[in-house]
Amino acid sequence: MIEFACDQCGTTFRVAAEHAGKTAKCKQCGGAIQIPAASATAAAASPTQSSTAPSGTAPPDTDQPDTNATSAVIRGSGDLFSYEITQRPDFAMITLTLQEGGRVFAEPAAMASMSPAVSLKAGFKGGLRKTLGRAFGGESMIVNTFTADRGPGEVVFAPGPAGDAAHYRLDGGSLLMQRGAFVCHGPGVEISGKWQGAKSFFGGEGLVLLKASGQGDLFFNSYGAILPVDVKDEYIVDTGYIVAFEDTLDYRVSVLPGLRAGSKLKTFFFGGEGLVCRFRGQGRLWVQTRHVQSFLSWVHPFRPSRRN
Amino acid sequence: MRHDIVSRPAAAVARLTFDEGESLTCEVGGMIAMSPDFTVETTTRKKRGSGGGLLKGLKRMLAGESLFLNHFTATKPDQTLLVGPRLLGDVIHRRLQGGSMIVQGSSWLASSTAIDIDATWQGFGKAIFSGEGLFWLKCSGEGDLFLSSFGAIYEVEVDGDYVVDTGHIVAFDDTLQFAIRKAGASWIGSFLGGEGLVCRFSGKGRLLCQSHNPPSFGALLGPKLKPR
Repeated sequence: MIEFACDQCGTTFRVAAEHAGKTAKCKQCGGAIQIPAASATAAAASPTQSSTAPSGTAPPDTDQPDTNATSAVIRGSGDLFSYEITQRPDFAMITLTLQEGGRVFAEPAAMASMSPAVSLKAGFKGGLRKTLGRAFGGESMIVNTFTADRGPGEVVFAPGPAGDAAHYRLDGGSLLMQRGAFVCHGPGVEISGKWQGAKSFFGGEGLVLLKASGQGDLFFNSYGAILPVDVKDEYIVDTGYIVAFEDTLDYRVSVLPGLRAGSKLKTFFFGGEGLVCRFRGQGRLWVQTRHVQSFLSWVHPFRPSRRN
Repeated sequence: MRHDIVSRPAAAVARLTFDEGESLTCEVGGMIAMSPDFTVETTTRKKRGSGGGLLKGLKRMLAGESLFLNHFTATKPDQTLLVGPRLLGDVIHRRLQGGSMIVQGSSWLASSTAIDIDATWQGFGKAIFSGEGLFWLKCSGEGDLFLSSFGAIYEVEVDGDYVVDTGHIVAFDDTLQFAIRKAGASWIGSFLGGEGLVCRFSGKGRLLCQSHNPPSFGALLGPKLKPR
């Protein structure tokens, strides 16, 4: 174990001895830190490490010694409940602690466990048209309502894929989500399917997005970790990696930019990244670090072939 | 090019920041998101240098990589690019300084355009016998190399002899000699034991291994799926 302090802000860190001599980024101030060979007390006893790397490869640079911000627990509170997102980013679970009378609305099968004070009511919400809209969005037509009607209690939601989850507070604006990303929401939020029309015809998964609007708390999930991106001007994301975005962003599905007209087809068919979503304007965007479809395409060759 | 590897180890991606004119060659489908000011080209060859041609492209396909590579070149300063692999696992960065690394075909994620990627390297045809659909890429030159693993990555400093199951190899320095061997004393015992073929390294150098074996995970899933 090596203990050292950041030169710029003085925060102390403890890292494993194997990180000695590497450069890392300070969790607190973001400045570069050179990790010392050993703590001052141990330095006298430990032999100097040889710095010659074999065959011209430089030593590895561990970017952040155990200070990965994406693994932090997310905590907060909403209308008659408090929430906690733990086990991020690989196996995120959303734990909601409801006060008596608190309500939360969730996608069916999202619930992993709950205390007996909470009752579950399955049902259509918001009339037939909204329900059908949700069905187009890739989410189930039924939204389950969890009510803490027998005293305070907790509900744990675990999303389908192994991955991350995030919280978003709606304040009159709206958020668009990739189909399948919706987990649950508090009171005051409306979820509807949003037909995107021809502009996302090529989008595959981008064809229909779920739109959340109103005032309240919203939780969504991903496959892989979720990385927030603050778009200031323009940003491009492969359609399969979009999780959610604020509707202040203008978006358009297109082929990769910057290509000569003649080479578009080539990129479309062979480039893999043929379809991207180009976001413009100001707003926040969330991308996921893995894509279910590309995992499936990896599994595909392992399927047995049909014999006639 | 500055880099930052985030959400390690299970869902790792490389976040790269480019200055104007800097470029990267990437696995097809590896791009997750990017700033607007990149030119993107899809080729069967390296953009510069001697690594190209259709034949090499075909060989790359044999090596488990796609025939096509994407080249991203920043046209303005401060452009970011996110690249990630298909399987759950880690991403690791290596800076090549004139040496070479032998990389397992499916572990190569991206590299500087200055790095030559050669799929013709077979180590005296040994790769043919390595079984399990594994082929190798020889990456040489000077620049950054990004590798991915299925599961976690661990590093072994080889000095002398070391044995690794072929499916668990990510990459190794080409200062290491290697030979494909059976795992046990007899061929029958090796295969019944499920270890099949192993790689016996000798010499001095760095070896990168992955905690999980992609072909055996595929073999586990495949039979449970509908025939294609």
